[in-house]
Order: sequence, then structure tokens, then C-alpha cells
Amino acid sequence: MKIVVIGGSGLIGSKVVANLRQSGHQVIAASPATGINTITGEGLAEAMKDTDVVIDLANSPSFEDKAVLEFFQTAGRNLLAAEINAGVKHHVALSIVGVDIMQNIGYMRAKIAQEELIKQSGVPYTIIRSTQFFEFLKGIADQATNGSEVHLSDVKFQPIASDDVAAFVSKYAQAAPVNGKVEIAGPERFDMYEVVARYLQHINDPRKVVSDGKPTYYGGEITHTALVPAGEAALGTINFEKWCSSQPQPVA
Amino acid sequence: MKSAKPSVSEMPADSAGTLERTRKLLSELGDDITKVRDKNDLLILFKKRIKGLYHLTHTIVTLIDYKDETYVPFLLDNEASAIRSHPRYQEMVHSRFSLNEPVIQAVLQADGPISFLLEEIMDLPDSPAFFRVNYEKGVREILMTRLMKEGKPMGFIHIYSDKPGSFSSEFRDVMKDIAPQLSGAVSNIIKNEELLNKEKEKSFLLDFSSDIATVRTKEELARAVRAAISKLNQKSGYVIRRINDDNASMSPYVYDLGAWQHDQKIVSALEKARYPINDGIQNRVLNSPIPLLFNVDREIQRGIAAPYLQSWKAMGFQNFLGIRLRNAETNHGILFLDIEEINVPLLQGICSQISIALANIMANEQISKKQEEQAFLLDFGKDITQARTKQDLQNAVFRVLDKTMHTKLAMIRVIDDDGFHLSPFMHDRTLFEKAKVDFDKMSVNKITIEETYTAQVLASKEGLMFNVEEEFKSGTAYAKLWKTTGLRNVYALPLRAGDKNIGTIWLLADRLSKLMLQGICSQISLAIANIQAAEKLLAYKKQLEVENDYLKEQIKTIYNFSEIVGSGEEMQKVYRLISLVADSNSTVLLLGETGTGKELIARAIHNASPRRDKLMVKVNCAALPANLIESELFGHERGAFTGAIDRRIGKFELGNNSTLFLDEIGELPLEAQSKLLRVIQERELERLGGKHTIKIDVRLIAATNRNLEEEVKAGRFRADLYFRLNVFPIHLPPLRERSEDIEALTHFFVQKYSRNSGRKIRKVAPKVIQQLRSYTWPGNVRELEHLIERSILLATNGTLDDVYIPQHTGADKQEPAYLLNRSLEEVERSYIIEVLKRCAGKISGAGSAAEILKIPGNTLHSKMKKLGISKSDYFA
Repeated sequence: MKIVVIGGSGLIGSKVVANLRQSGHQVIAASPATGINTITGEGLAEAMKDTDVVIDLANSPSFEDKAVLEFFQTAGRNLLAAEINAGVKHHVALSIVGVDIMQNIGYMRAKIAQEELIKQSGVPYTIIRSTQFFEFLKGIADQATNGSEVHLSDVKFQPIASDDVAAFVSKYAQAAPVNGKVEIAGPERFDMYEVVARYLQHINDPRKVVSDGKPTYYGGEITHTALVPAGEAALGTINFEKWCSSQPQPVA
Repeated sequence: MKSAKPSVSEMPADSAGTLERTRKLLSELGDDITKVRDKNDLLILFKKRIKGLYHLTHTIVTLIDYKDETYVPFLLDNEASAIRSHPRYQEMVHSRFSLNEPVIQAVLQADGPISFLLEEIMDLPDSPAFFRVNYEKGVREILMTRLMKEGKPMGFIHIYSDKPGSFSSEFRDVMKDIAPQLSGAVSNIIKNEELLNKEKEKSFLLDFSSDIATVRTKEELARAVRAAISKLNQKSGYVIRRINDDNASMSPYVYDLGAWQHDQKIVSALEKARYPINDGIQNRVLNSPIPLLFNVDREIQRGIAAPYLQSWKAMGFQNFLGIRLRNAETNHGILFLDIEEINVPLLQGICSQISIALANIMANEQISKKQEEQAFLLDFGKDITQARTKQDLQNAVFRVLDKTMHTKLAMIRVIDDDGFHLSPFMHDRTLFEKAKVDFDKMSVNKITIEETYTAQVLASKEGLMFNVEEEFKSGTAYAKLWKTTGLRNVYALPLRAGDKNIGTIWLLADRLSKLMLQGICSQISLAIANIQAAEKLLAYKKQLEVENDYLKEQIKTIYNFSEIVGSGEEMQKVYRLISLVADSNSTVLLLGETGTGKELIARAIHNASPRRDKLMVKVNCAALPANLIESELFGHERGAFTGAIDRRIGKFELGNNSTLFLDEIGELPLEAQSKLLRVIQERELERLGGKHTIKIDVRLIAATNRNLEEEVKAGRFRADLYFRLNVFPIHLPPLRERSEDIEALTHFFVQKYSRNSGRKIRKVAPKVIQQLRSYTWPGNVRELEHLIERSILLATNGTLDDVYIPQHTGADKQEPAYLLNRSLEEVERSYIIEVLKRCAGKISGAGSAAEILKIPGNTLHSKMKKLGISKSDYFA
């Protein structure tokens, strides 16, 4: 199959590209750097030629509410229009578990907009909603840091390793379109402050994690279970321990 | 991977010479490379320098594309390549070769150049085809060196040799050394190419922009776009479609089908069509900010029914590009291009220019169209102001509709005076060629303002548009008629003068400019209002003229009494009756001897009635020639009979809403009586020669001095008419029965005539009053009036002491009034004469007059002598 991976040079994208090439598919890693731009349309039509599956893993270069919405809408529209014209048979996109119940957060609204465009496009699709990646732990800690303390809640958290995500994405891309959503998550469920504390400990970060009880995610208030799958979800194989051990330990 | 080792026998070390040669080569190459500007110069220079020193057949440079992990030929040796004659050469040049195979992976892993014997590697399962192609053309060995950029492999330089073992370790060293320089040179070439391309694009866009800037017309746009596209791709065709005014469809605006020859029929069908915007293709393009590449077959398979897809397929187009033409936030149209290569920035540059040009042209076209229309409207205005008649207006309306809107007038209807009915005013029958009969039938119908369509139109502010097809579905008779014209819409507007509806106008067309329509309609409204006003004015003028003539006549003829004189008992009775009947609309019959003042009474009734503001119309039935009575009473149309050169309004019409006084009704011929009876019964009439009936509201007062009952008995007066008239009879007393009024009347007349004649009569002698009272007045008040007039003229001083009561002739003596007034002498004399006549003049003796009179003959003789009876009296 010919598979185009939009955002093919990113964290998940590069892994998915590698996975799919491993499986013997003709894979195009699309990104502005490789001359394929979903915002301007450059290279898009050529890339879509004879393409069977498109995997959209692109992320907005800006996270400001308006910019992010515009990015996902414009890129989504352009990409889907080109897919329709080229007769693409399967559109796979990565979304977020709980995206629909966190609509107070701008980024989540943008992702929902992206999902809506896909549903309405008529292109057969699979939307993969994933929990947060282990790779986000540091970022989560940083944005919650105040002085030497990290203020986090006991919101339920079930992070997944990016390798697992890439494996799931590759798997769904090669399967028949679901024309719906699937959810993926890590194998273990934590309280958010707990897992971050363990992570900081692992990397010898001196910051102290304080559980202050307010369930928020990147500043937006959320419910306790917003970030974890409500129903059935496919679980990754890499747990926290395993993931940690695969991470290079900082020397300092 | 056994070949991945130097397969060349070690050369004797000549380190000093080698070093020297290498340095020289490096410096020379360094110099060369700085000169390299053109893509293929690099290889030529490289070869020139190497060739003398080492053996090789040709070299190429390939570049890695990380997007799909392939490498592609970039720099080719067009002079010496051994494989140029190979049938698969072109295929090789345009192929992408995978990085994921052992040979290339080995090259990527190797730190320096690495050589292979083609024989050994070309048949490995994943090996690229060019190994075998080269081998087939006599090449035996390949030396590959990776080119690095920013620490990452960017490509390879392939060096081919037809002799195994050509690549000495010295050469390998040289290659290893010069690889970074070559990498730099290749990067420069890539950069240069990019720059050049950008430059080209810019100058192209600049050229195009200056071309476009001069574009004023559609044709110039077509030329400019053609020129630009031919620079991009020699043979591609294009079409620019424009969004039509309805905002729901698009039509080709300019096009060029490129170098292809096409069936003219298909082309002209495509050219004329209007395509709905939401056809599955056009809407996708218009909604997409980026150019979209379409595959004709795929879209057809998908079930897109846009008719042009089939045509394009038939014309041989497989893929086409669609880009919206958009200015700011407004879509103007679409550019369809038959190319497969998409240079997005360039296309968007072109399209934004075309959009601007298109917008400009459309604005220009609109302006000139507006100007044209305005010129026509101006002309129309002029024509209209000159229109005095309906025909003038019709000519002007037909012309303006044809010239500005290319349509015909379906109908103008005008609201009648009653404010309820609408009559057809003007229409163009030629519009309904296919349904002439129906149209004629329907157009003569009077409709009312409550008719469904009309009511909607009149209620609307700026008129309405009906879709014929939709209306047809609802099955109205009008819609069926409209359908026959084949036109899509009906435009109906109210015609208004000020804010008053005066009618409706109906037009049939596919599309009309609303603004124009309103402009024209307001002018038409004005013109119709003017014409109507003119017609009305003319009618009023005519009526006023007639009334005026009539009034003048009246002034000459009628008694100029403003009051009725007399307060006697008889007159009191009359007054009471007048006051009883005046308020009503009842017919009054005035009976009385001649000169008793019947007209005066009629006028008094009229003046006391609610109709007093209007003029009472009087007809003297006795004064009319028998054959003109009808025309006089009921009016006639122009041409109703010989001599009827103009329309004439009859007395009945003239007296509409007023009172008609029919004097001397007893003199009316029988034939006219029956007509009159009908009018009185129906309260409506037809003018002679007229088509329609006219409702009238007239109060009738009839008068006669005849005894109508006797006339009826004698068959001279219709009984039914008599009963109709005799609703409220008023008997006017003769003057002799109201002698108590004679004095008042005398004084009244004396005053009137002394004023008129300039004689001052201060006093009337009592003797005169006595004389007047004793007279029998067969001519009643009229006689009294004239007697006074004569007496005043004959009076010698300021006192009226003598009146000249007429001495009656014999003929008068049979009058009952006269007989009642005779003296004894007169009675005696006339009786004696009568008897003498009977007795044939025999005075005495048997059978004589004396015998009848029973007086002696002598006595009779002396009486005759005394009374002055001579023979001539009884022998007449």
C-alpha cells in the first residue's frame, strides 16, 4: 500500500513511518520540510496520487486557541479535499481521550473540529483517541511548577508510551477503516501527581510534587476521569517501569 | 556483501607523486567548483580533471529524498554516459530508487567511497535496476561515495568504469577528499536551481501581472491567460468559469482548449451551458483554499453528474486542476486547467491576478451595461414624457423592454374607478403566440384586486417574482398560460402613483434586473397616471362645458324666482307637501294649470333635498323633437347614428346624483314613454349606440297641466308610466282659487318690473287690486306677471292705477273661466244670438226666437237694439 504520513517527521510520525516501511509499504513522510504542506497545499496533490491510506499526525505549530483551531481546520479541509480528489481509501487520525468532555480547553475544541471534518468528509476513517504519552510527563511537571514545587491534582492518568502509540497507529492504518473512534491507553492507571513524582524521582529532579487536589490539565479545569478511557480501550504493553528504563538517565 | 571491498589491485606507492597530483587535482577542482553555476557543468569539469589521471566511463550524482527514503538521479553525464542508448535509459532517469536495500545501506554506512562489481550485485533481489542497465551497456564496476550535508547523507556520486579494477586506492583517497567539496557544489547547484526557479516564477508573475494590468476586456484576458499558461505548459487548455448573477450557477467566461482539436458540437454546448454551483465539482473548488487536482474517471465513478465531466472525458482530458478565483472574501469563478503538475505558489499568483482582472472586467462590464441601460432609461423617460396617448406609451414601453431587458410585456392592468376591478390596459399578444386563444380569453376578463396573484403583487413593496415551474405545479390557469412562453419567471410589480396603487405590470423572462425593472415601472406608472388624468380631465371638461351651456340656457329661459310668493291656505297645503317629500328620493308628480309655477315648485323641492348641491336638470318634453328625445334623455356614443359626430351625455347622466325635472311629461310620445319607464324602473341606462349600461341615481320630478288619468284613458299616456310617476302628486291651485295671494303677487311683480324697467311705481291703486282679484286668470301667475309688466310700461306716473285686463275674443268665450265671469247683459246677448241662430234669424211668430224666449216679438226687437245684436251676429 501507499501510505502518506502527515507529520511524518514528528515523535509518533517518524516511528509510524519506520514501522510501516518495515512492513513493506511505500510510505511518504510528509511535512513542510519534505515539501508537503497541508496549509498551503504545496505538494499535497502529488503526494496523494495513488495513495491508499493517509495518517494525519500533524500538530499545530502554535498552541494559542485561535491559531490551533485555524491550523486543524485549514489543514484538515485541505488534506481531506485532496484525499477525496485522489480517491484515498482510509484516513487515520490521532486524537485525545476525553477530547469531547474537555471542550473548555481551546486545544480540545480544535481537535473536535478536526474530528468533525473527518466524519463529514465521506472518506472512510479511523480516529484513534489516545491518552497522554509518557513523554509528556516532563512538560506536565514544568507547566505546574511554582518555585521548587509542582502542584498537581489526583486526576486519573493513564499515560502510554509513544512506541505503543506508533504501534497502534500502524496497526489501525493497515486494518480496515473503523468509521468511528477507538481508544488507546497505557497499561497502568495513576493519580497524576503520583506518576509525575515518580518520574521526577527517576530523573533525579529535586522538585517536590504537591497534590493540591484541583483537577486541571494545562490550566483548564477537568473532571477526575476526563483523561482516562471511559469504556473499552486498547492498552499498550510498555508500563511506567519499562518506559523509564528505556529513557536515558541524565548524568547530572 | 563480498564486493564491498576495494577490488582493485594495490598500486605501487608513489606517495610524493600521488600527493602532488592529489593536491593539484583538489585545488583545480576547488577552482572549478567555484565556477560551477549550471547543473551539468559540475560533472563535465569533474570528469575533465579526473579523466587524464584515472580511468572511468561516466559519473552521475543522485540525491536522497527522505520523504519516502529514495534517491533519484540529479546530475547526469549527457556526453559520455554509456547507457544513454539503453532502451530503459529514460525510465532510469525518472525512477526513484529505494534506500532500503543492502548495497545502498552499505554505501550509507561506509565512511568513504565504496566500489562494487556490477556482476555481483545486480541480481540481488532488492538491487536497483540501473546496475543491470549499466552492466548491459558494458559497465563493470561502480564506485559510490556518499555526499554529506549538515552531517546527514544528501546523495551519492556514482562513478562507473567499464574496466574492473579501475578504482585505485589513490583515487579512492582523492574521492574521499573531494567528496565534501562536491557536496558543497551540489548543494550550491540545488540552491541555485531553487533561486533560479524562484526568480523565474517571480519574473513570470511579474510579466503576467503587467499583462493582466492592461486587460480591459474579456478577449484581452483570454489572451493574457493563454500566454501565461503556454509558458507553463505548451499544450494545456483552460477554462475560466464565472459565477452568474443568480449566485447559483456558473458559466464559461473565457476558455482555450489548448493544442487539442475538439468536436465543435461539444465545445459549443459546453460554452453555452449554465452549471449549478453545487454540482459536486465546482463547490469543492470554490470551498478549497488550495488548488485541487481531479481525475475525470474517478469523479464520474464517484457519481458526480456534472455534464461537463462526460464532455471532458470525451475530449480526452483525464486530469484537471481546479482553482478558485477569489478576491478578498468573494469568489468570482474557477480556473480549470488541464495540467498535472501543480506549482501551488505560482498558480496562486496567477489566480489572484486573474481574479483581480476578472473583478475589474466584470466591474467594467457592469458599468458600461449600467450606462447603456441608463441611456435607454433616459430615452425611455423622454419617450414617456412625450406620450400623450396610450399608443405613444405602448410604443415606448415595448421599445424599452425589448432594448434593455430583451423581454416583452405580458400585461398591464389598471385599477378601475371603483378601486376594485382591474381592466386590461396594455399587453403584447406576440408573447403568447402559442396560446393566443387562451390569452385573448383571459386578457379580456376583468379581474378584481382580490385575485390571488394580483393581491400579492399589490401588497408587495417592490413587486414579486413567480417561478413559472412552481406555479405550474399548483395548476393555476395563469401559470398554464405562462408556461407556453417557455420563460422561467414571471415578474409582477405594482404600478403606483405616489403611494396609491393604480395597477399591475406583468413581465415574463428568465431573469431581469430588479433595479431596472423598478425604474421602468415607476416611469410607466407615472405615464399611465398622466394619461388617466388627461382622460379624466377631458371628461370633466366636457361635462363642465355641457353644464355650462345648459346653465346659460337656463338663465335665459327660467323664471328667475328665488321664492314662491303666497301664503294663502291653498299654498300652505302645497308647502306642507313639499317639505314632506323633499328629503326623500321619491318621484314627485306636479299637476296644475299652465302658469301655476310647477317648475318653481320643482326647484323648491330640489333645493330642499339633499341633492341641492347639484344642479337640477330640466327637460321640457314638449319642446323636444320626437326623434331626438331619446338622444337628449339618454345620450349617445360617437357614430350611434348619422350626425352623431361626438359622444353626448344625456340629461339623465347629467342629472346623476341630482334631480331631473321632466316638464310637460304629458306631451311625451308613447315610444319615448316606454324607454323612460325602463330607465325609471332599472335606474340604469345605455347611451344610444353604447355597449355598457350606466348606473344612475336620479330623483325625478315630473309635471304636466294635463289630466293624466284622462290621457291614460284616451290611450295617449302609458298607464304603467303614470303609476310610476304618480307616487307623490302635488296639485298646484290655479290663481283664481288663491285670490288672497294676488295682492302679494302683484306687489312682488310691481317691484320686480319697476326695478327692471327703471320706472318707479310706489303705489298700486286699491281699485286695481280689486280688478285683479275679480279676474279669472286663465293664464294664472304667469298671466298676472305679464299683465303687471305691461301695466307698468303703460303707467304714466308713480301709481299703478290702471290694469289692462284682456278683452276676450269670441273664441275665448267658451272657456270655463270666461263663462263664469260674464255679466247679465252678456249672458242675455249671447243667449239671444244663440237662439236666433237656432231659429235661423226668425225673430217673431211661430218658431221664432221670441216664442222660445217667451217674450213678445217687439220686446225682443227692442232688446236686440239695446244689446246691439245685428244680423251679422246670428248669420255668421
